[in-house]
Amino acid sequence: MKIKEEIKDGVMVIRLSGKVISGPDLMDLKSVFQTAISNATGNVLLDLGHVNWMDSSGLGVLVSGHTSLAREGGRMAILNATKKIHELFIITKLVTIFETFTNESEALASLKE
Amino acid sequence: MLKGIVLKIPSDDTIVEALQIFVEKIGLVAGVSEEDVTGLSIAVMEVVKNAMEHGNGSDPRKLVTIYIDVYSGRLQFIVDDCGSWQPDAHMGHVPGEGKALISSRGRGVLIARNLARWLDYGLNPEGKTRATLIWPLT
Repeated sequence: MKIKEEIKDGVMVIRLSGKVISGPDLMDLKSVFQTAISNATGNVLLDLGHVNWMDSSGLGVLVSGHTSLAREGGRMAILNATKKIHELFIITKLVTIFETFTNESEALASLKE
Repeated sequence: MLKGIVLKIPSDDTIVEALQIFVEKIGLVAGVSEEDVTGLSIAVMEVVKNAMEHGNGSDPRKLVTIYIDVYSGRLQFIVDDCGSWQPDAHMGHVPGEGKALISSRGRGVLIARNLARWLDYGLNPEGKTRATLIWPLT
């Protein structure tokens, strides 16, 4: 898994690619979420456009990031989930807790509200 | 045909990554496509991680036994643990609501069921939990 971070319009954009599955890479992703929370960056846009696989551990880190941010008053939205990843959100019902977008500008505008 | 492969592994999640690579190699040898082989390994690992955690209480002294057989048209993984938990009875295979939805419990079974064409839970002849995962080969 590769992780890229940038700040766009005051929103922390985290772009993931590859496999978001069990392993040491997930610790890196946890750290990135932790940084977003401790820096009070506020809202996070998670770009999953280049993620081809995710397992329950990967989903767990996303849910944990989402709930930790929410606890601090922040929001996390998902951008460009592929069909495969979106299916995962549906079968696990996580689609009901994640805001999802297919357009980055719209996502950023929503997170700035 | 690959038949009679038996792995006995401790319930220690540091071994999962190496096991995942092994399962992918077996899948490729059996004829699973490059595109699908990660799905196969994720499904098997979800079952194995559940066995380690729920069946064996993450106790490294307790083993998970994996039987791998390739038959004509299908690849079969049988995963035995030392417990007698039954996900269908105790966890259901539908996600919960509210706090249960946020909890990670049961998510691995859902993912494995979605990826694999067949995943069934029952008990082995010793009365311990047995998961049977079948992946069709085209």
